[in-house]
Amino acid sequence: MLDALPDYRDPPPDARAHLEQLRQRDTVLRLEDVSRVFTCAEGPLTALEGVRFEVRHREFICVIGASGCGKSTLIRILAGLDAPSSGQVLLDDQPVDLPGADRGMVFQRYTLFPWLTVRDNVTFGLRLKGASAAQVAREADHWLEVIGLGAFADRYPAQLSGGMKQRVAIARALANRPRILLMDEPFGALDAQTRSQMQTHLLDIWHATDVTVFFITHDLDEAVYLADRVVVLAARPGRVEEIIEVPLGRPRNPRSRLDPYFLAARQRLEQLIHP
Amino acid sequence: MQRTRQVRWFAVGEPLSPRARSVLTLAAFLLPLAVWCLISYVPFVWHPLVQVVDAGDTRAPGQYSYLAEGQLVDREVFAQRNLELAAAGAELAQGFRSNPIYLPAPHEVATAFVTAFTTAPSRHGDVWLHESLWHSCQIIFWGFVYAALLGVPLGIACGCSSFFSRLCEPFVDFIRYMPAPVFGALAVAIFGLGDEPKVSIIFIGTFFQMVLIVANTTRLVDMALLEAAQTLGARPHQLVTRVVVPSILPNLYRDMRILIGWAWTYLVVAELIGEKSGISAFIYQQQRYRHFDNVYASIIMIGLIGLVADQCLAQLGRVLFPWESGALWLTRLRSRMAAGAQRFRSGLRPRGLHLSASPSKATEGIGSKVA
Repeated sequence: MLDALPDYRDPPPDARAHLEQLRQRDTVLRLEDVSRVFTCAEGPLTALEGVRFEVRHREFICVIGASGCGKSTLIRILAGLDAPSSGQVLLDDQPVDLPGADRGMVFQRYTLFPWLTVRDNVTFGLRLKGASAAQVAREADHWLEVIGLGAFADRYPAQLSGGMKQRVAIARALANRPRILLMDEPFGALDAQTRSQMQTHLLDIWHATDVTVFFITHDLDEAVYLADRVVVLAARPGRVEEIIEVPLGRPRNPRSRLDPYFLAARQRLEQLIHP
Repeated sequence: MQRTRQVRWFAVGEPLSPRARSVLTLAAFLLPLAVWCLISYVPFVWHPLVQVVDAGDTRAPGQYSYLAEGQLVDREVFAQRNLELAAAGAELAQGFRSNPIYLPAPHEVATAFVTAFTTAPSRHGDVWLHESLWHSCQIIFWGFVYAALLGVPLGIACGCSSFFSRLCEPFVDFIRYMPAPVFGALAVAIFGLGDEPKVSIIFIGTFFQMVLIVANTTRLVDMALLEAAQTLGARPHQLVTRVVVPSILPNLYRDMRILIGWAWTYLVVAELIGEKSGISAFIYQQQRYRHFDNVYASIIMIGLIGLVADQCLAQLGRVLFPWESGALWLTRLRSRMAAGAQRFRSGLRPRGLHLSASPSKATEGIGSKVA
């Protein structure tokens, strides 16, 4: 049956048009030979070596790889929470140095501020910038509606389910209007059903905003379902093994998971990750 | 049929029902009281002495002829005297068994609890008991406030930055081992005889502990929250004011409650240096008059003040930190007031301005579709 799958490199017309259009867009993020070497007791450990690729405006890019391939190190460097040992990261042609509001991040662990209500969590970044009370209230209402948690505005994070917490975390990052949204295995701690709901939900949010998404996962289905392109990292040292263009059009929905092209792309990733 | 499970009093790691908890709390106070009553009211449990009611014929000679009415003597002495009296053919001494003077019965202490407040000071210029207590509370309050004003910021600074930690903590740790009372003489020499040396003893007793405890509490801040705040654009000073401080606040509050307990410990020493004052002076005086019922009453008073104050602070904490306690009424009230204020403001403003600035329409309704 697997032999009957189409070639993932030969996408159907709608996907081909989408990918073609993507190539025309401006580059938002550019990684130039990013390497990161940790000094350990046993000697230097190379987590990343010469990672080089580009992310285009409004692109949804997924990075997958086995555990220990430096996925988290990579996204932390993009966020400015870690610095490359050599090479550099350019956001809109400006080198990335420290963390900043132009790169929103959603972590795998729940990192909502427990002392703030959902509403105050969402507007945390705006209030840091000193936005006016009216603007803060307006943005809060807007983003609560986008994530569908308006009824939970005055709840504390401890009163929310895991999926809700991550929705608030996404809204909190997006309320800052970042250039790029960095997501480090954001649905890794969720159960399978909530996880697939969140994937569809994330795609809806992404369509509704003009943000570029850089998404780290180790779930092949998640990567194919969400991404325009999937970057496959090889481990020890972490390096780009291959970049796959997903042969699926937009918008996608849960039925896309049964598409022969979905399965074809997934099969290719399987071969790369588990040769 | 509903199955009611039997209360398992000694189960490991299993919470008790609220009723069982109240029963045990009550028992915690009633059991010691019951033991005290047993020793005081049931004869022959202890009662090692005899209270002499009638000394008998005091003219009868003997080794124990000093026995007099009102004396509290050993049972052995009393028995010997009666043997002497019997040998002389004189009238026997009368008395009843009694506990030592340092163990008054519960009802005596209860009476003293009331009369201590209603009895005028014995010497001219002395203060009433409630004035003594109030004075003690003030010493505690000011000593603690000064310690907190300096200790909390310094502790947070040490917890946040290795620079301050390395600069302060070794020395603070060194002083911490010096018992606060040894500074008593010095404090009197510097501040004179008023309340200042007393306040300074409370300060010394709590400040150095506070710096270290607050620093350790600050270090427990979740690093992930600090990183999240940085990706949201927080600058270093905002990390402290917007993340570190609110995040440690409930624990800080708990630390302060524990440290107030420490302050009470140092109070007794502080009040006895220089000019004796406050509740400790009262206890000292009553002990010299051998009014042990008053001594017990005042010790219990200190305990009660501490207990009641701590319970009040605990309840206040539940309201102040609703995200930990789940007591949400204050939050609801606040958000309702904020919503009211918002409505009030938008009512004042021209409506068009409000609409033109609203965020992009394209995103509306997505959440409701997927949720």
